[in-house]
Amino acid sequence: MPLIRKPAGSSSPPSRDPVSVRTALTSGTDDERWAAARAAPDMPEGVDALGDALATEHSTRVREAIFTSLARICTARSVERVVPYLRSDDASLRTGALDALRAMKTVVGPYLPRLLHDEDADIRLLACELARNLPSEEATRLLCGLLDSERESNVCSAAVEVLAEVGGREALPVLERCADRFRGTAFLEFSIRITVDRIRAQSSPPRE
Amino acid sequence: MAEEAKKRVMVVDDAALVRLYYRDTLEHAGFHVDEALNGLEALEKLLTAPVALLIVDINMPQMDGLTFVDAVRRREMPLASTPALITSTEGGAQDFAAARAAGANFYLVKPVTRERLLEVTAMLCGTAA
Amino acid sequence: MSELPAITEEELRRLCDFLYRRTGMVFTEAKRYYVERRVFERMAATGSGTFASYFARLRSDAEGEVEYFVNAFTVNETYFYREDHQLRCLTAELLADRLRLKGQEHAIRIWSVPCSTGEEPYSIAIWLLENWPMVDKYEIEIVGSDIDTGVLERARSGVFGKRALMRLSPYLVEKYFAPAGFETWKILDDLRNSVRFSRVNIVEPAETRPHGQFDVIFCRNVLIYFDDASRRVAAENLYENLAPGGYICLGHSESMSRITPLFEVRRFADAIVYQRTVGEPHG
Repeated sequence: MPLIRKPAGSSSPPSRDPVSVRTALTSGTDDERWAAARAAPDMPEGVDALGDALATEHSTRVREAIFTSLARICTARSVERVVPYLRSDDASLRTGALDALRAMKTVVGPYLPRLLHDEDADIRLLACELARNLPSEEATRLLCGLLDSERESNVCSAAVEVLAEVGGREALPVLERCADRFRGTAFLEFSIRITVDRIRAQSSPPRE
Repeated sequence: MAEEAKKRVMVVDDAALVRLYYRDTLEHAGFHVDEALNGLEALEKLLTAPVALLIVDINMPQMDGLTFVDAVRRREMPLASTPALITSTEGGAQDFAAARAAGANFYLVKPVTRERLLEVTAMLCGTAA
Repeated sequence: MSELPAITEEELRRLCDFLYRRTGMVFTEAKRYYVERRVFERMAATGSGTFASYFARLRSDAEGEVEYFVNAFTVNETYFYREDHQLRCLTAELLADRLRLKGQEHAIRIWSVPCSTGEEPYSIAIWLLENWPMVDKYEIEIVGSDIDTGVLERARSGVFGKRALMRLSPYLVEKYFAPAGFETWKILDDLRNSVRFSRVNIVEPAETRPHGQFDVIFCRNVLIYFDDASRRVAAENLYENLAPGGYICLGHSESMSRITPLFEVRRFADAIVYQRTVGEPHG
């Protein structure tokens, strides 16, 4: 019988010395940095060591592990360490940061009003996606607040995209005003029309 | 137009309304349209059904559009030579340069009009607009 | 008499868009009737009076609602030789590929996680014995793991009923099982003793690491239901448990595209599988 059964193995526990984890995060082989990134949430000051390491990490999988660990930590501090990477020129860092923030939906809420009114349109645009993870009423409120003062059509489109999923009837007048301001911008007009139709077509509660 | 003669394009964008808008525009002009929400899904679908053109956003979950185009260029032929059009809100010089480096063939800054999308799609697919 | 709640076409579209984004599953027009029916079922089961309140529940994945909803559309029953296209892929492509890379000295290690009541790991064993010409040339180690100790006990006992064996030919049942009561069979001891069962929570690296590295992992219908953070941790754990060049197979309606970029997708004649590449992913 070629099928064999072996006893369970054991793994050596990862190093728990804080100094070596910070060092291991920025030196050593890919495998060593990977292991250090995964162990960092259990270390004191792990969140800052992880945030710092992102600035210089070039391996995709180690970066992925760093973002996962920051998402696991899931505190205000981990949000603060990730947000700056939304501004990166490197598309994969931006994606990594946004994915990590998506995974921190329980703590990212308080940061959204500020992000949705950031002076950088790219940040406002990415922040609309984060509103998707909030309860519908809160997301609608925040996105409507953005739409009424937003000048960039791409940011409006990002907000409308999320409102197509979460928007309630209170969004209708805001959407109509937005359509008025951006007459002639084909894609935004199209998006608003679809979203308005979707919101209008919500069923009423059953008769009792 | 017979189904087999239609050129097949894939829209890779995490915004459902963008995919709808492009699908609307392109199907009306006789293209067959596939969709994917991010580069990983696109790669998976491409293995089953190759396309004449990829229309790709940059900011998408799990795998951004530039990493995706680069990943396509590293795969086996003929998949690796699939033309790729980037359509993105990102419109800086460094984004154009990064797109070229990743192997994209063309770049359009959003918002894209229906006419421009059709014009560029036809050109990259080698069909008349 | 109370009315069925009305659901508009736009509401269904909202729901389908949400599910596509969340799981990668596409619900076409053809499936519309089934989606609508499932919505009604789940609204009733959760006491949701309106579509809006149910959708809020689904969006927040309250009490695992996404899994409950999607359950109706995936094959959840566990039986021998379920998703046999993946077993075909295993013997037709994956094992040959692994052996080309690592040569003859080591055992082939295969992990079934979650293994539930054991149908999957035992199926792999029987399939290999029946369908792999090289089966006698190599040592093969099959491990089955689950978070639920109750199902593990049943797996270890190796006792199965008629439904579990329904895809097996009478020849195979006769060859590998002994009758054990009314419409009950017990897998032969040789086979039963050759699969190791263990308890594991795949989100805990301390629990997954001791299992070592595998050539092929079957991890079906569990990753997609975890929350964002847990999904990533579990995927990273499984990455560690895969030998470089090793393969991981997901459930039929799942895709790594909603889970992690760590693995590279490979398409074979019988199945789409994911690989831990030797170098950087997609590099």
